[in-house]
Amino acid sequence: MSGLVQDFRYALRQMRKSPGFTFVTVITLALGIGATTAVFSVVDQVLLHPLPYPDSDRIVKVAETFQGVSGTDASPANYLDWAAQNSVFAEMAASRGWPANLSEGDRPERVKGTMVTPSFFSLFGINPILGRGLAESDAHAGNDHVVVLGYGLWQRYFGGDRGTVGRNVRLNGEQYSVVGVMPPNYSPDDYGELWVPSPWGVPSHPLAPDKDPRQFRDRSYLDVWARLKPAVTPQQAGAELDTIGRRLEKQYPNEDDKIGVSFLPLHEYVVGDIRPVLLVLLAAVVVVLLIGCANVANLLLARAAVRGREISIRTTLGASRQRLLRQLLTESVVLALLGGGFGLLLAVVAVPSLLALSPPEIRQFKEIGINREVLAFSFLASIVCGIVFGLMPALQASRSNPSEFLKEGERGSTANRGRTRSVLVVAEVGLSLVLLVGAGLLVKSFARLMDVNPGFDADRLLTFNVGLPSSTNAAQQFAFYRDVMQRLQALPGVRSVGAVSRLPLAGGNSGRSFKVPGIDKDYSADIRVSTTDYFRTMGIPLMKGRNFSESDLGSSLNVAIVNDALAREVFPGQDPIGRQLTNFGPDNLTLQIVGVIGNVRHVGLDTAPHSEIYQLLGQAQWPSVFVAMRSATSDATSLTSMAQSAVWSVNKDVPLANIRTMQELIANSVQRRRFSMLLLAIFAGVAMVLAAIGLYGVMSYSVAQRTKEIGIRMALGARRPDVVALVVKQGMMLVLMGILAGTVLSLAMTRLIAGMLFGISATDPLTFAGVAVLLGAVAFFANYLPARRGASVDPMVALRYE
Amino acid sequence: MIESARSEATKIEAGQPLIQISDLTKVFYTDEIETHALSGIHLSIAKGEYVAMSGPSGCGKSTLLSIIGLLDTPTAGRYSLNGKTVENLDFAERSRIRNQEIGFIFQSFNLIGDLTVYENVELPLTYRQRMPAADRKARVMEALERVGMAHRVRHYPSQLSGGQQQRVAVARALGGKPSILLADEPTGNLDSRNGEAVMELLQELHREGATICMVTHDPRFAKHAQREVHLFDGKVVAEEELKKLLAETSA
Repeated sequence: MSGLVQDFRYALRQMRKSPGFTFVTVITLALGIGATTAVFSVVDQVLLHPLPYPDSDRIVKVAETFQGVSGTDASPANYLDWAAQNSVFAEMAASRGWPANLSEGDRPERVKGTMVTPSFFSLFGINPILGRGLAESDAHAGNDHVVVLGYGLWQRYFGGDRGTVGRNVRLNGEQYSVVGVMPPNYSPDDYGELWVPSPWGVPSHPLAPDKDPRQFRDRSYLDVWARLKPAVTPQQAGAELDTIGRRLEKQYPNEDDKIGVSFLPLHEYVVGDIRPVLLVLLAAVVVVLLIGCANVANLLLARAAVRGREISIRTTLGASRQRLLRQLLTESVVLALLGGGFGLLLAVVAVPSLLALSPPEIRQFKEIGINREVLAFSFLASIVCGIVFGLMPALQASRSNPSEFLKEGERGSTANRGRTRSVLVVAEVGLSLVLLVGAGLLVKSFARLMDVNPGFDADRLLTFNVGLPSSTNAAQQFAFYRDVMQRLQALPGVRSVGAVSRLPLAGGNSGRSFKVPGIDKDYSADIRVSTTDYFRTMGIPLMKGRNFSESDLGSSLNVAIVNDALAREVFPGQDPIGRQLTNFGPDNLTLQIVGVIGNVRHVGLDTAPHSEIYQLLGQAQWPSVFVAMRSATSDATSLTSMAQSAVWSVNKDVPLANIRTMQELIANSVQRRRFSMLLLAIFAGVAMVLAAIGLYGVMSYSVAQRTKEIGIRMALGARRPDVVALVVKQGMMLVLMGILAGTVLSLAMTRLIAGMLFGISATDPLTFAGVAVLLGAVAFFANYLPARRGASVDPMVALRYE
Repeated sequence: MIESARSEATKIEAGQPLIQISDLTKVFYTDEIETHALSGIHLSIAKGEYVAMSGPSGCGKSTLLSIIGLLDTPTAGRYSLNGKTVENLDFAERSRIRNQEIGFIFQSFNLIGDLTVYENVELPLTYRQRMPAADRKARVMEALERVGMAHRVRHYPSQLSGGQQQRVAVARALGGKPSILLADEPTGNLDSRNGEAVMELLQELHREGATICMVTHDPRFAKHAQREVHLFDGKVVAEEELKKLLAETSA
């Protein structure tokens, strides 16, 4: 123990003795460990922590499948059958988004509500912090106007007043009694600001809120949740659900044709999409850390050469190899712990910035930060780093032959260390190339994505969401929207105004099935309901036929405008204008196509346009709409307050929600890609700089070792350019080997990010070549500087030097 | 005081030797060149003996001292220290023997610049298993007092003169109470006054019973030893023969 204390004291003394070395080492490690800790803090909370519900690993998301492909939702009738017929779930619950206008006093607000079955809270195993959850008795007409508030809404809107429970609040124009408040961080879905029951037990259909949904088998809009019984394995549950699905398909051959049922663990459902991104980033940052370790190992090797005399003396005096190893590793671990300490501070600062850059899938994990696990990780990472970068120099130093030292004085043998340092530099260059190629591919993908034509003109567009309560009828809703459109259009600085049920890139989608007379085939398409001026406002081009017109509203003919994708899919080589779409949706409507518009990237810029059918608002209804306003000025957001006043002038209880410019929506839609691209680019940049520093260090050391040789060469007539070429050639050989090794490694590794690429192959030769040239150029300068210094040596001084 | 190398066989048979080397060779291989540093060395050093090894540069003195000090291994031949065969020991066992049986004194002192005088002398003792700190301290102070450096315990080597540094190095060698002191040109980096002082110190240690083996090419200091072993081209030669060989070489 006293030996360890001695080693520790000596390590501290070594650090004090070489402040420059200590500074560079600690900074390098702090960068590496800090970045790794910051990324790990996200990975830890998102991927490694269970969700904050008791036995959350037994909660699953159940959904219908179509032709074996998993969907995300289910119809009420199928949900009820699954719940009744299964023996594998302890509990099942269903929910759907229920956007609500919350109006207390003069502050209406659009909030994200959820309509749920009463079992919803007990399934997640979370109890309210105030009042109660929902009871079976609440899910009946007359008792259903009760609401449970989310913690965030309770704090934000009600100031955390404990007296809120028992009060009545106005939701969608109706009185609801607050019965409870849920704890913070309870957000099983995307809507968790408040929860209400349905008078039918099962959440009603958003477009038919007054109809009993329990018989709806062809309208899938429910999110279904279940908790596996303790003894049931996922395989058993899957087998039983499969049986139930096939039974229902036979029993309801029309509605449940090709419909099955599957489930996904809740954690997988919540984090599944972001997992590959986080794993790639974690791998990238670990590579940066490894490169940092290689740099520090190189510094230690150089120092070991300087300390050869000391090590030899210790060996001569009887220090065993283990003892020397222990001392040298203690020194490197102490360095690493100091680096880790600063790295931790760096991580504390970096995590909020990381979260600010991150997509919502990550930001929803509010607990992300430096917790006990992250601290332990940082400590462990420091220890491992200390051993990783310290082991090789320590082994080499402990193996040095003291008799060589006695014979050679202070020079000792440096040939082997030189080889090791070269190998480390080759590894650094290779690993940097892998990261640079990855970053290059993502940057190029992002650039290609941003070049994609979304199908509309996003410039100067302000968008927001408005909706009337579901208790209002279709005529009232249409009148409201028409009045709102007229008042918005009249605002100064507004060029045009349109509204649509589903705005591109704003999330959410709706689909309908339909047929075409004379074709024995079922089609499906995304459905939108829009106003007459929507296409003009959005800049979506009309390719054929005509736009909706006011006269369509008075006509008995249900008109439709389809997009180019649908026209090509359903009417290839034909003119779709005037053609009919029959059996449209659950009401079996017949629509007549009057126009064809250009394709719009609705789901994402990276997703090919789906077939779309637009109906005219007024002929079809929708519970809430997105309004798009084209501004005459460059700052579309300046219209916000006027727009809010205009809407309030029509109905004072209707707030504007989700106010964003179209450019913001586009930016949000690529946030995950931007996040991974930015981080990987930062990591790759750091890796490249570290590799260049490592190369610079090795070449400087090599030049110092070759001072006498350089002096002899110059004495024999070598010119300075000859010496520069000699040194640069030596360094560039290492770089070339690193680039070759890195290219081979990249070809294997970039497959891991193939799923994150867009419009580019994972082996894009231009990216590979560009990155190699960039790295080669940076490496050239890292070589050139020590080479120039070597060439500036006075041959007489160099020869006296030895 | 100085005996001829020819009397070796008699001495080996006469007493129990501390060091016994027979037919020892050392060959260095560099690329395709073989360098025979030592060829068929026979040497015996008795307990309490003071032996000087001399010869011209490159004759193999330091190589022989490295092998005696277990810093290097012979290519062939036998070497026993304190009656134990040591030429084929592993690194750990050689470290242990170096630490406990051998004290080194170098030409360039080889003190560690980052350690104080006290810590330098303490260093070999810290490599001993389970040696209480109090014992270590007593040994260190005893050794420093022995060489007259106890008043400089907190100094660093750079704050000392060459003679003082060498005295600290001697204290370090003494601290472990070794069976033999190996000195490689201990006066090589000292002026004549400091050199004499160190030689007197070794002489004094020898009078107190220390076994000393010293490499030197200075005949003045070689005369301090009881016996002088002459090396030439990796072989032990008699003094007269050495003179003849040197004369031939210079001619």
